[in-house]
Amino acid sequence: MLKRFLFLRGAEFFALLILAIVPLWVSNSYALGLLTLLAIYGILLIGLDVTVGYLGQVNLGHAAFLGLGAYAAGLCVTLLGWGMAGALLMSSLVGLVFGGLLALPALRLAGPQFALATLSFSALTATLLNEWEGLTGGAQGLSLARPPLLGLSLSAHGFYWLCIVLLAVVWLLMRNLLASQWGRAFEALRDSSIACDAMGVSTYRHKVAGFALGSGLGGLAGGLYAFNFQYLQPQSFTYELMVILLLGVVLGGRKSLWGAFFGACLIVLLPNLLSNRLLFEMLAAAGLLLALIAAARAYRHQSAQLFQRLAPIFAMGLLVVGGFMVDNTESWRKAIFALMLFSVVVGLPDGVMGFVAKFLVRSLAIAPARIAAAARLESVLSPQRADGLPLLELQNVRRYFGGVKAVDDISLTVNAGQVHGLIGPNGSGKSTLVNVISGLYAPSSGAMRLQGKALPVGSLLKVSRAGVARTFQNLQLFAELSALDNVMLALRGVYRTPLALLLLGLARRDERAAQAEAMALLDLLGLQNEARTLAKDLTYGAQRRLEIARALARKPTLLILDEPAAGLAKPDVQTLIVLIRTIHARGISIILIEHHMDVVSELCDVVTVLDGGKVIAQGTPEVVKRHPKVIKAYLGVAQEELAEPLIQKEFPAC
Amino acid sequence: MNTQIIAQMVVSGALMGLVYALIAYGFQLTYATSKSINFGQGELVMLSAFFSLTLLNFGAPYWLMIIGGLLFGAALGLLVERAAVRLALQQKSEGWILLSIILGLLGFSAAENIWGRDDRPFPTPISADALHVFGINITPLEISVAIGVFAVMGLVELFKRKTLLGKAFEAVAADRDAAELMGISATRTIMLSYGLSGMVAAMAGILIAPITTVGPTMASALILKAFAVAVVAGLDSGFGVVLIGIFLGALESLTSFYVGSGWREAPGLILLILALAVRPNGVFGKAAIVKV
Amino acid sequence: MKKTLLATVLLGAVAQTALAADVVKIALTGPFSGGSAPMGTSMRDGAKLAISEINLAGGIKVGSKKMKIEIVERDDEGKNERGALIAQELAAMDDLSGVIGTVNTGIALSGDKHLQEKGITKIITPAAGSASMTQWANKADKPGVKELSIFRFAAHDGIQSAMVVEHAINQKFSKVAILHDATNYGVSGRDDLLDQIKKQGNKLEVVATEKFNIGDKDMTAQLLRAKAGGAQAILIWGIGPELAAVSNGMAKNEMKIPLVGGWTLSMSNYIDNAGKNGDGTLMPQTFIEEAITPRAKSFIDGYHKAYNVTRIPSPVSAAQGYDAVYIFAAAVEQAQSENTGKIKLALEDLKKPVHGVITTWQHPFSTWNPANVESHEAFRRSDTVMGMISEGHVVFANQADRARLIKNASK
Repeated sequence: MLKRFLFLRGAEFFALLILAIVPLWVSNSYALGLLTLLAIYGILLIGLDVTVGYLGQVNLGHAAFLGLGAYAAGLCVTLLGWGMAGALLMSSLVGLVFGGLLALPALRLAGPQFALATLSFSALTATLLNEWEGLTGGAQGLSLARPPLLGLSLSAHGFYWLCIVLLAVVWLLMRNLLASQWGRAFEALRDSSIACDAMGVSTYRHKVAGFALGSGLGGLAGGLYAFNFQYLQPQSFTYELMVILLLGVVLGGRKSLWGAFFGACLIVLLPNLLSNRLLFEMLAAAGLLLALIAAARAYRHQSAQLFQRLAPIFAMGLLVVGGFMVDNTESWRKAIFALMLFSVVVGLPDGVMGFVAKFLVRSLAIAPARIAAAARLESVLSPQRADGLPLLELQNVRRYFGGVKAVDDISLTVNAGQVHGLIGPNGSGKSTLVNVISGLYAPSSGAMRLQGKALPVGSLLKVSRAGVARTFQNLQLFAELSALDNVMLALRGVYRTPLALLLLGLARRDERAAQAEAMALLDLLGLQNEARTLAKDLTYGAQRRLEIARALARKPTLLILDEPAAGLAKPDVQTLIVLIRTIHARGISIILIEHHMDVVSELCDVVTVLDGGKVIAQGTPEVVKRHPKVIKAYLGVAQEELAEPLIQKEFPAC
Repeated sequence: MNTQIIAQMVVSGALMGLVYALIAYGFQLTYATSKSINFGQGELVMLSAFFSLTLLNFGAPYWLMIIGGLLFGAALGLLVERAAVRLALQQKSEGWILLSIILGLLGFSAAENIWGRDDRPFPTPISADALHVFGINITPLEISVAIGVFAVMGLVELFKRKTLLGKAFEAVAADRDAAELMGISATRTIMLSYGLSGMVAAMAGILIAPITTVGPTMASALILKAFAVAVVAGLDSGFGVVLIGIFLGALESLTSFYVGSGWREAPGLILLILALAVRPNGVFGKAAIVKV
Repeated sequence: MKKTLLATVLLGAVAQTALAADVVKIALTGPFSGGSAPMGTSMRDGAKLAISEINLAGGIKVGSKKMKIEIVERDDEGKNERGALIAQELAAMDDLSGVIGTVNTGIALSGDKHLQEKGITKIITPAAGSASMTQWANKADKPGVKELSIFRFAAHDGIQSAMVVEHAINQKFSKVAILHDATNYGVSGRDDLLDQIKKQGNKLEVVATEKFNIGDKDMTAQLLRAKAGGAQAILIWGIGPELAAVSNGMAKNEMKIPLVGGWTLSMSNYIDNAGKNGDGTLMPQTFIEEAITPRAKSFIDGYHKAYNVTRIPSPVSAAQGYDAVYIFAAAVEQAQSENTGKIKLALEDLKKPVHGVITTWQHPFSTWNPANVESHEAFRRSDTVMGMISEGHVVFANQADRARLIKNASK
């Protein structure tokens, strides 16, 4: 434990110390210039990592924020005569506001569409900066002098230290933020925004905040950029720079502050290092050697595909051979850069820092952080009244898709403390009804009440906050999060620390409490030994159970289980039945959609049968099973006599 | 005079728009089968054009040059698929975005060093002297580009509908898993789509080279527009790219005439963002209902 | 990982300082890749040609020994940020004697301050934008620098725009259109043109001022605006490929009016791509690739042979790079030192004439005077001639200029 702490904090402290004292024994202004740029790009890439790494969006607008921030700072100085502190504040603010705006399309767009939207934004920014000559000087550029910081005029060294201090502050704040519920929410958004809302974590709020934050850092970096170069031109902040930034983040390693910093090192230092022939040949040879070693290791462990092993060797080999053949490496710089990038992206999918971190953790035998002991289940899921009064009431609910009446005039009451089954053949409207209740779809008409109060419509988030939790038939887990994080994300009522304190790292207690509660739920679902496993690496059965644990973390009054037994093997189904009983015993009311008739029969107090979007029968499982309409719906046969043996076959438990 | 100017602007813009559309069509082909696109497509256009120019300089006849250029484009497309796309798709990561950008960078640098950094003319037997059609100046060269664009897209569509291989392509595009159950190899079909996409890029390069000249940066401005056209039309919109391409091209021309040439791209960009906001899957794209 | 990188940076810096011995180290910088690479590489290759000639002859005579020239080559890609970093790198080299190069004005604006701070002598060529020198001069709100180590060896835009406007006025035009690219170069060219039109008595009415972006291929809109305004000539500031697009667009829209513009119109990527549409285009030139003098002949032949071409991509850049090296070498010889400060002083007062390929340079620079940028500008109006494109080559537009230059050289 101590070792881990020393390793993590020690590395940070050491890096900072080196960065801070290097200028004391290097008087070389070039080295200082590179280091300054490194600090600035460090901040820039940490910002980009929020959107590209954590939020997982292909953001091609970050270079524009650098530009906007730079011009904001430049204009504050040249037009308004502000000092450095004010100008930097302004440039961050500009990034923050425009970043928040950029999040709006991000709410609806994904993948290539979002990439294009951000690309358009940066092209518009460039056009604006170029055309508004009266303000920005257009293509002729904007020259500015470095203003004093709070009355102090800064030398090149002073400015460098300012950049380092800002980098350290950004680093600390981001570390605290990303280690909290915010960081989990950012990552969860990337995997499933639907599940986020359904778990009471606002997609809207977190996306806007994430973008604003990332872009705000871009703006801040822009301000520093302006004071570093003291000359700005719109053409510096274009697509080409954006590509380089993106490559930097991925190379260094996504979702990692170290990765962002290392990416900054690469994109700042590499182009300048490659001008030196000798250095280039050393790098190429070292690269080839590394690729060979990595391939040999991978071969031994059978841990990578043939292509993944051979491609980097081929690329680095090309570099070494090509290095001997061409006489001017300077003109092949882009190709050299490309070959190195190619090897890293193919060979090290987690980025360089991701690889290094794994390697160090393994070779220094550093244990992962300890997880808090499980809390008592009783304290997590406090007992609820199961008084049999109406809990959820639906009146004449309809949901049409064009001409299709998926849910057609359904009225239904779920009483508190009941397990209410919902069955029907495929396409009968079960899933649509559940989606309407949980807020994914707004009803076309009709009224819904929960505990006598109107249930919010058309908002997963609001319904979730009203006390309804659900699982998904097609799993909507946060694949890249661990089982523990999946549950912790959904936990209700534990995160109380205000943002300001959280940024200062004062939310540790919340985190421990959340861990304890989440562990209790994982225990309940038999997942206690999988707490650290990524959701995507769990077995199918475990994933299904994790969905339930996550829904329970909402501490719901009404739990909707959407086909929890689908695809489970027989013994697992039995475990599931026991489990649902346990949950039910805590007083939680349950709507259970299920095809396994035995599960329904064993668990449900009441069963409602849907067909063609309408309720065709309701009652105890025994009653419903013999209802002629139900039999007809399932088998398409009217005569009960004929159907009886068939239905016995289909549902042997009957 | 005024209507004539507008007509001239629309025609000139629309011609550029058709070129955007053709490159955008290349994006669609790979997106259909693999949900990935080659971010280095512009370099494919450029490299194929350079290669074709080299063939001409070696004295190859025009028809041979076209075949050679197309084969070269197809080979590059296959290379991109193998080196940048296949692994990433297997890992279900978005690594293809970066890898295709990286390969583009490599191609750019190679072109700079092999063929030089200068823009060079691309000889063509078709005249560039203006004709008058209803008071509009248009060159036979431009007409040939328009015809070429439609011919290429038509041929590819014909291939997709009339041949067995083409039907396999459509099947994978419609439902990859179902197609695989039917014994169609998705990997092969994706290779095919990248090969085809490379050919389309090569044809685009050969068609526009006489107008744009051949140089390492010849496609860098085009490619962003083509990307915009592809996404706004919808990455599964088929011929929708033609309409959007023509519209965007004409809009750019008219903007630079009436608003000012510096603002040429602005209205297009704003419309683009608006179009995406209203129809995230593109104007002609198929909207999908969220299902869980 | 980070530490090793840092170490290599430092190692690189150390390795570079360790090498110094009996050589004059000159840095050549410019865009050797990307859009303005033809100018950058021509300049570099011209300069390298001169350097190899000097080295072949044993080097520059300093005292009793002969010092060879060693080259440091840096590609700024035409990007300001790279340019600034390279300038910082060069400024940190203790044994650097000087810098020759820069094509993009923006790079001079972002990088030269680092060289000036260290007092490293730089000869800017072929960047012609006025701002790269005026940034050091007296301005309304603040005085210029007292000492300047930056020199320019190119016909700056002020001279060129004056010639272009003068030509238009001499042709009795009254309406012209200005087209320019959206870069620093194009925009400052536009401003210089407008400025010159005012200075020369407002005899020209500008009916359209139009912009185009790098990479634009369709110039119809801009040209139709000019046509609609009744322009009798198009004055243009931009770089090769886009200029060709304008020329071809003019042919398509049947605008048979003269195209006159900056020196970049002589680049091969304009001439080739405009083809026959380019014939008759006029531009100020400091050097025309025609063997009118023995020096010019040996330079042109030497270049063609060394780089295996039949035509120089940008003859102006190549010739200026070549002559700049000879002028620099002359300063080293006069200073009798590879010390950059001493070279600067020698450059400001070159005693011996330097026989270059452009002309014979008599005292090209003088002591810096912040009130007069001409003190560090080598080219005057008389060193610049009007060139014209004819059948794929740049020729003298006025035979009188040709005769004058031949006469000058034989003196």
